Amino acid sequence: MSGSDKFKNKQILIVGATGGLGCSIARHLKCEGASLVLSGRNEAKLNALSQELGAESLSVDLSDSAERAQLADAIGTLDGVVCAAGVAPVAPVRYLKDADLEACLNVNTVGPLLLIRDLLRKKKLNPGASIVWLSSVASARGAAGYAAYAASKAGLEASARCLALELAPKGMRVNCIAPGMIETEMAASAAERISGEALAAHLKAYPLGVGQPADVAAAASFLLSEASRWVTGVTLPVDGGFSIQ
Amino acid sequence: MSLEKFIEDFEEAVEDIEPGSLTAATKYRGLEAWDSLAVLTVIAMVDAEYDVRLKADTLKNCETLEALFAQVSGSS
Repeated sequence: MSGSDKFKNKQILIVGATGGLGCSIARHLKCEGASLVLSGRNEAKLNALSQELGAESLSVDLSDSAERAQLADAIGTLDGVVCAAGVAPVAPVRYLKDADLEACLNVNTVGPLLLIRDLLRKKKLNPGASIVWLSSVASARGAAGYAAYAASKAGLEASARCLALELAPKGMRVNCIAPGMIETEMAASAAERISGEALAAHLKAYPLGVGQPADVAAAASFLLSEASRWVTGVTLPVDGGFSIQ
Repeated sequence: MSLEKFIEDFEEAVEDIEPGSLTAATKYRGLEAWDSLAVLTVIAMVDAEYDVRLKADTLKNCETLEALFAQVSGSS
């Protein structure tokens, strides 16, 4: 099977498509023949990307139940869903703002779970569909300042395991990817809030160096494809060896 | 927003600083307690208390607490 046939006739929804990882995943899957539906909150970026890839698009805020329902209504049945939307507030718990904590949990944990709930209720997931949620190495390792983010991603992974069991009888699969430090806008934004020395020390902890969005896109492609048909409920680290130390 | 209050907030944010021990002229980057966690904590404190999003570079470029306060008050 050539790369362009891998997802022939497969409909895949990518949520958070305008972020660094979502965008890279969208381009990768398009090259492998997928028909894409893209969603994101940045309307201008979303329009540009959907035009580039010839994809359908809908700009929605997934933490808003009405907008989420609108998305679930508007799309056809899906063979795959990727949730790549995410926010990463960086603050010690002493100075963690209510709004930042709530937004973090809503965008990173609650949104993906409720989106799948809505898609299931509206019967928009085909038998054998594959769901991929973007987690983080932060879910399994402590880091000062990341309590909210780590909790949101650990919760996401725990939900994925439960959902995987619920959907297994339908042949549907649910998996997470836990990337390490990847060069994206979100990582750059987080880096602005830590010292250059702390960032340099963190980057040294990656045996294979800093990752690129394409590394995560390749993993998402694998988990969405038939090649991973016997893989469900797992979190795949894509972290250059960070988590094995 | 006052410089005195800002110094108090700074003292509270950074661990192991005796309340009342710092002044406007304190060169905070030379403090024994100044480390990567202190940088992260001061940025978060300024965000929470002053609704200003400082960058780590700003903390690196200012010398004294007075200079840092000027950055914070000028951004709010």
